Amino acid sequence: MSGQKITIEYNDRVVRQFLLATVIWGAVGMLVGVLIAAQLNFWQLNFATPWLTFGRLRPLHTNAVIFAFVGNMMFAGVYYSTQRLVKARLASDFLSALHFWGWQFIIVCAAVTLPLGLTRGKEYAELIWPINLMVVLIWVVFAVNFFWTLARRREPALYVAIWFYISTIVTIAMLYIVNHLSIPTSLLHSYPVFSGVQDALVQWWYGHNAVAFFLTTPILGIMYYFLPKAAERPVYSYRLSVVHFWSLVFVYIWAGPHHLLNTALPGWLQNLGMTFSLMLWAPSWGGMLNGLLTLRGAWHKLRTDPVLKFYAAAVTFYGMSTFEGPLLSIKSVNALAHYTDWIIGHVHAGTLGWNGFMAAGMIYWLLPRLWNKPLYSTALANLHFWIGTVGILLYVAAMWTSGITQGLMLNATTEHGTVLAYPNFLDTLNTIRPMMLMRVIGGGLYLAGWFLLVYNFYRTVKGAAPVNGTIEVYDEAPAPDAKLSLAGTFFSAPTVFWFLAVGFGSMWMFGTDLVSTAGIVGAVACLIAAFALVPSRSKAWGGWYEKLLLNALPFTLLVFFAVVAGGLIQIIPTVLVQKAKNVEDRIQTPYTPLELAGRDIYIREGCYLCHSQMIRTLVPDILRYGDYSRLGESIYDHPFQWGSKRTGPDLARVGVKYPNVWHLRHMEDPRAISPGSNMPTYPWLLNHSYNASVLPAKIKVQRMLGVPYGPLTAQQIFDSMDEQAKGIAKDLRTAGAYVDSDKEIVALISYLQTLGKSLPVITKSAPR
Amino acid sequence: MTPTPKPPLPDENDPLRPHSFDGIQEYDKRLPNWWLITLYGSIIFWAGYWFYYERAHIGHTNAQIVEQELAVIEATRLANAPVLDDASLWKMSRNPVFVDAGRATFETTCVSCHTKELTGMIGPNLVDRLWIHGGRPTEIYATVTQGVLAKGMPPWGPVLGPKKISETVAYILSHHQEGEPIEVQAAWVPPPPK
Amino acid sequence: MAAPQPNRDFVTTIRDDGSRPFLFPADTHGRFTTARRIWSLLLIAFYLSLPWIKINGYPAVFLDVALRRFHLFGLTLAAQDVWLMFFLITGLGFSLFFVTALFGRIWCGWACPHTVFLDHVYRRIERAIDGDAIERRRLDEAPASGGKLFKRVLKHSLYILVSAVIAHLFLAYFVSLPEVWVMVSAAPTAHWSAFAFMAVFTGILYFNFGWFREQLCIVICPYGRLQSALIDDNSLVIGYDTNRGEPRGKVGTEGAGSCVACNRCVQVCPTGIDIRQGLQLECVGCTACIDACDDVMTRLHRPRGLIRYDSQTAFAGKATRWFRPRTLLYGVLLLIGASVATWALSTIRPANLGVTRIIGAPYIVSADYVRNQFLVRIVNKQNGPAEFLLHLDAAPAGLRQTGLLGPIPVDALGEVVQPLVLQQPRSDYHGPFHFTVRITDPAGHFHLERQVEFLGPDVRLLREEEEEKKEHHETRH
Repeated sequence: MSGQKITIEYNDRVVRQFLLATVIWGAVGMLVGVLIAAQLNFWQLNFATPWLTFGRLRPLHTNAVIFAFVGNMMFAGVYYSTQRLVKARLASDFLSALHFWGWQFIIVCAAVTLPLGLTRGKEYAELIWPINLMVVLIWVVFAVNFFWTLARRREPALYVAIWFYISTIVTIAMLYIVNHLSIPTSLLHSYPVFSGVQDALVQWWYGHNAVAFFLTTPILGIMYYFLPKAAERPVYSYRLSVVHFWSLVFVYIWAGPHHLLNTALPGWLQNLGMTFSLMLWAPSWGGMLNGLLTLRGAWHKLRTDPVLKFYAAAVTFYGMSTFEGPLLSIKSVNALAHYTDWIIGHVHAGTLGWNGFMAAGMIYWLLPRLWNKPLYSTALANLHFWIGTVGILLYVAAMWTSGITQGLMLNATTEHGTVLAYPNFLDTLNTIRPMMLMRVIGGGLYLAGWFLLVYNFYRTVKGAAPVNGTIEVYDEAPAPDAKLSLAGTFFSAPTVFWFLAVGFGSMWMFGTDLVSTAGIVGAVACLIAAFALVPSRSKAWGGWYEKLLLNALPFTLLVFFAVVAGGLIQIIPTVLVQKAKNVEDRIQTPYTPLELAGRDIYIREGCYLCHSQMIRTLVPDILRYGDYSRLGESIYDHPFQWGSKRTGPDLARVGVKYPNVWHLRHMEDPRAISPGSNMPTYPWLLNHSYNASVLPAKIKVQRMLGVPYGPLTAQQIFDSMDEQAKGIAKDLRTAGAYVDSDKEIVALISYLQTLGKSLPVITKSAPR
Repeated sequence: MTPTPKPPLPDENDPLRPHSFDGIQEYDKRLPNWWLITLYGSIIFWAGYWFYYERAHIGHTNAQIVEQELAVIEATRLANAPVLDDASLWKMSRNPVFVDAGRATFETTCVSCHTKELTGMIGPNLVDRLWIHGGRPTEIYATVTQGVLAKGMPPWGPVLGPKKISETVAYILSHHQEGEPIEVQAAWVPPPPK
Repeated sequence: MAAPQPNRDFVTTIRDDGSRPFLFPADTHGRFTTARRIWSLLLIAFYLSLPWIKINGYPAVFLDVALRRFHLFGLTLAAQDVWLMFFLITGLGFSLFFVTALFGRIWCGWACPHTVFLDHVYRRIERAIDGDAIERRRLDEAPASGGKLFKRVLKHSLYILVSAVIAHLFLAYFVSLPEVWVMVSAAPTAHWSAFAFMAVFTGILYFNFGWFREQLCIVICPYGRLQSALIDDNSLVIGYDTNRGEPRGKVGTEGAGSCVACNRCVQVCPTGIDIRQGLQLECVGCTACIDACDDVMTRLHRPRGLIRYDSQTAFAGKATRWFRPRTLLYGVLLLIGASVATWALSTIRPANLGVTRIIGAPYIVSADYVRNQFLVRIVNKQNGPAEFLLHLDAAPAGLRQTGLLGPIPVDALGEVVQPLVLQQPRSDYHGPFHFTVRITDPAGHFHLERQVEFLGPDVRLLREEEEEKKEHHETRH
């Protein structure tokens, strides 16, 4: 059978399906983005309708553009390129179809549940638990289909694009599962198993690496295939691919805590997050350099080929955002920029510039090849590029200006630094209002560019016959000496040095005196040995790596070990520390049942998307919001609500700052209380009754998770809620406002009024 | 820190690697050394930073730093308003420099409720001997700083700062005599509208 | 050995072992070199002089971050106006797009501070001390000696000196020259953060101009790349006329084109490329190769312009189209942007007004009144003291205002925050209503307004309470 020539037809049908889904969901996701950006300017655009308010649509926007737009784009690119890079048709047509339809079903479910307010209350992880299960299932389908295809490959060695795909599949599975661990209280609601600081750490380990392994590594893989194809140039450097791939996947995982700088997160984690973020600059730029210098030889084609234009710009924006990222991770820069629009601008430089432009370049390149017909209009594609670039320019410039302006104003003090210059948060918000409008215009232009692509897509594909790629190969068995055993994988010098370096490094970082000394000695010895061996052994190590590339499973295992290290070292100590001992000097009092009901309303309405609950260890924060937040003050919060953006002020200590009637009027019409506010109105909270019947199940789960509730019967829970609610309603009436005690607003007020109440811990050794 | 496996040097004559993937070839160029140095540099920075903060504990924690800064602010506040006892507030109330500064603040900020004559209108009379929230200088100071939210008296501390508040209290006290009797008033009854 | 001949596969400035060959571009003379030098010296003079020129009592450009006041050519902006910076950023961006569509990377060659300072300050210093390209290379390769050491120390000292001057003037844009002088005169510890900024900034400039040079343009700078993507066939670029030049050959060679393969264009290139290979990533449009080639052509009595500013269309023998949909679109967008910016600037008032509700209860009900309390913040952006008048528009009958009744004096560039207390008699309160807070100057030249809502208790509740009170009264009598 060896040597027989056969023709393979690639499964390009599923690629076309994913491509179509990319285009459609891209338009939907960006449209929602423009709508919510407009809502920040014109609160009327919330239409006083629950499922159209900012707090519910913002998760829809982020989930749609990440998982629906980039997700589908990634699957299209991965499936198209992998088949060709390994010279094999996708292993299973059934799994491919299941993957496609399953993913679209998930997206539809998300698009229905998120506006309904069904959410887990964690950013980019909002989808409720039944959908989480579906995501995991479909991801496994993807993984099986992918690795099965690799197993059937006719190309013995794995190309760099495949390395990135492998790291994506492995890491996203790990991140997604850990951050979605929850215990259901009903079919549509669950509480995450982690709380407070643990939940924060896990969330941003996930959130940051969703950027890394969903928006970056698969797209880098796609770059390594489509960019040299479009440029018709060799890749600049294989060696650079090796160095930047391994350093990127290893270092990225550690950087999550930079989302929590200057918060109550333990200092050692903040220091790790900051230093590893700085370390990330070079590996990221390695990818940019490789892309750019590959394009270099085709620079003269840039004038005429829209695909190359998109790639050149995408690689440039990748470089800009990965330079800005480490910069923003420096504690003092972060103190100014965090919670402001600067971060939003940073993210969009990456997503619009890198993801969006890579997607556009890939689509324009693929269309003629998948439908065997020239692109309908190159001029329109060029116009798309111009409009998109202008859109990004407006958007990013607006967000920089806005973020820096607001950051400076929020931190400004007078009277020798003892008084805030702008004590009223609204002064700072109203200053940046014009910028928010510019951002809508920028986003709108970018969306208009996307619609040009949609039209170009439609005109190209209309009436064209889909065509599947084929290749002729010699059907031969792989060379027998190519197998690398597990021992050969793990007991090779590069792997051993890597394990030793991480091990010794950790001993030095965390060990007590003796262990630490041993760690530093070991690490230095390891370094010296490795560098001493480079001249004589580098050829052999290179040979070993070439051999590793012939073995998908050992390669995947090494990737897994590289990405798992950072997570383990950061998360395990944080989770293992006994909760009650790890609270600093204040500990939270568990919520009453009514407050818990109010908290779930707070989460349902997405309040955390505009309001943080974390007063940082920074003087301006303390002057504005009160004493800085302690670990113990959110220790029972499932999920944590520290937030990541302050479109409105921090709420960590808002309790008892205002009378109940203030909150009532404010939720009914924020502008009545705060002239110039851009917060949506929440009239339905005054009309809808809260659902008390779910509370016993919720409190049961909270107890299970370790929140110190007594053994309450359902009746006790109902009575307690009723009593507290009536008290609030009575107080409201005294202040001149009618509201029935069973309305949602009453529960929400009870929650808001409890924020910041905590008990001092007298003796740290005696747990409560 | 992590020794990266190095592939063999390419053949001198052929800069392209022998393999081609779906037509894609690869050069094997060296990385610019200055780029590598930034990578090594950031690793060295990490080690130094970790040593400074986490091993040698030379660097302070966030909480320590902010507590120090707050202490400095507190000291500045005290230095600019070294008057948190009754005696010095009384002394200030006899010093025209403070009283004039206090009058300026009072006449822009307080008159809308307490009137220019301090006889009260929306807010209570400040020249009689009746006090609702305490009539000792430090008590007045506290009332102005923290406010009485339920009655509509806002906390002026964050807006005016301690210096201006102490001057204003001095101005109010300049209408009083040290040692005069203080009577407790339950609530302020505004005069009937004119 | 001379640097390897540039080609499409390798970056000239990265050697096979990863090290960086330092380039020694040869001198050029000619119209572009002269024009660029004059123009750049003007730009540098402009940059250096701005902090010294005073308009309306402030330096022409003074971004006073500490006081959050921004003085631009006589115009003073407060923190609340900083969003206008957006127009500066996008205006620069748009102009760059427009200019690039017409003239290619003309920004890089003629206006970018990196090129301007590098070519016309640092390279001049180097030229004066180390000599021309051949001498520089020879010196570089020479073994260490007293003479070499002296030249190196002199050169790098001058680099650092110039870097420090640029950095200090940069700081002057933010703290003004007298303040810089105060800081310079004091011990470094007295202004520790400013000193550290200065040291770091000087170091960065020295590293960049002394060593990093073209690497910044090739690897770091995003604008160069975006500009390349914004060029089309009709944009002006520096290019080599292949039709006329090829095939290359020494003078007198049968059938040879105009190019005599003298390699002069490569020797003068500061980024190490061969322009004859077409448009490349590295080209910053510095015009050195144009002057070098023109020089050679003139000496050979051949027409100039074998390498010249022209569009790809023109190099292909057709006429450049200046009016294309793109340039028209950019022109229109630029006009729109300029109009919006002009309009936005015209909305700048000599003052700012903010009205916020005083913290605490949204309204207070007393025996006779419903009361709302606001804080009014007025910022005077003028350089002299000013007075403002406050008015309430669309306020219903019976609304009583206390506070802010007379003229409100505000110091030059000062702010006042004062309470505005409003009372509505209970009997006249019929539910929440909107009204407008307006301030004007005494002459009525300008006004600013904010809409505010007056709140109160549920009217039914208010009436109920009154009924009760009345009954109470009646039963007592």
